[in-house]
Amino acid sequence: MMKTDLIVFAVLFAALAAVSLIRLIKGPTSADRMVAADAADILICCAMVLFAMYSGRGIYLDIAIIGALLGIVDTMLVGRFLEKGRRE
Amino acid sequence: MRKTTFPAVLTTFLVCAAFWLLLTWSVATEELIAGGVVSLLAALFAGRFFIHEKAGWFFNPAKFFVGLFYWICVFPIELIKANCSMAGLVLGGCKKVKPGIVKIPVDLKSDYGQAALANSITLTPGTITMEIAEEGEQTYYYVHWIKAESDGAEAGEAIKGRMEKWIRRFWQ
Amino acid sequence: MALRIVIDVLLAVGAFFALVGVLGILRMPDTFCRMQASTCVNTMGVIGLTLGALLYAIFLKQDVGSAVKIGVIGLLILITNPIGAHSIAKGAYKAGIRPDAPMETDDLGRDSE
Repeated sequence: MMKTDLIVFAVLFAALAAVSLIRLIKGPTSADRMVAADAADILICCAMVLFAMYSGRGIYLDIAIIGALLGIVDTMLVGRFLEKGRRE
Repeated sequence: MRKTTFPAVLTTFLVCAAFWLLLTWSVATEELIAGGVVSLLAALFAGRFFIHEKAGWFFNPAKFFVGLFYWICVFPIELIKANCSMAGLVLGGCKKVKPGIVKIPVDLKSDYGQAALANSITLTPGTITMEIAEEGEQTYYYVHWIKAESDGAEAGEAIKGRMEKWIRRFWQ
Repeated sequence: MALRIVIDVLLAVGAFFALVGVLGILRMPDTFCRMQASTCVNTMGVIGLTLGALLYAIFLKQDVGSAVKIGVIGLLILITNPIGAHSIAKGAYKAGIRPDAPMETDDLGRDSE
């Protein structure tokens, strides 16, 4: 059974995540950095789903679920800090 | 501080137990006992934040199927249209953006309905709900819009489209 | 064979919209527009990928447990993403981050004065 297309798309998603790290490095404000990190997190989850289908190991799906859950937690954390953290 | 009610705890317990079953994907006795204890603790602590209105609409089949139809058929069409216009904007060089924050009126009463409409607006590319304000009876959203061409109720029509009408049918 | 083509088309749609979102994050002029572009990754990219992987897991791999987990991942990202976007947009506005060019209309700034 041909599985080449799955690994091609997985590598494509991972490369897109690496590209979005450019904005994480040079973004002028912390909100820019957080948006880029969130996008990279979700793209890595997608690549992990495809790699689980390619290699046939179910453990990558569990890691992708945990990654998606923790991504929302740190986004909300930075959001709440930006909203209320700078009070004198 | 809200009070912890029994239906809230029961609903939260059922949702947590279902999620535990999905994650472990086995019905061994030890795992069921551990999942039950953990779900009960989570439900006791977090139930009052999860359900705090009358949530009986779920067992009303007419409203349930209208809601299902909205999330499966109506909303994805809006999503695909907004995504295609966003793709045109980005591939065309990001020159035609006119960002702005507009204030739109919303005619939904219940908390769940307002949350569903705000999440629908945020989930379509091109619009993000930033703040919800209540002035007397009327509710207003502050929406960041990437093509701010109009203002007030006219902008509300352009942003909400068919979504508000459908949400009002099942979550008043 | 036809199923393989459908799966590949769905995955390609997901990859295309993910590419659009990442390009938007890199090229948009100010912070809030970058947030708008990143929504593209989280909606159509995730939906295309989830549907493709779901079809693959159900029909070619015939593994219901994996299929359910893939569906949960897609739903989880779709449900939780607007909460994070809303929180970070509000936080950025409250922290005083403004675009370089002035916005067309700024009702929130006008009303909070």
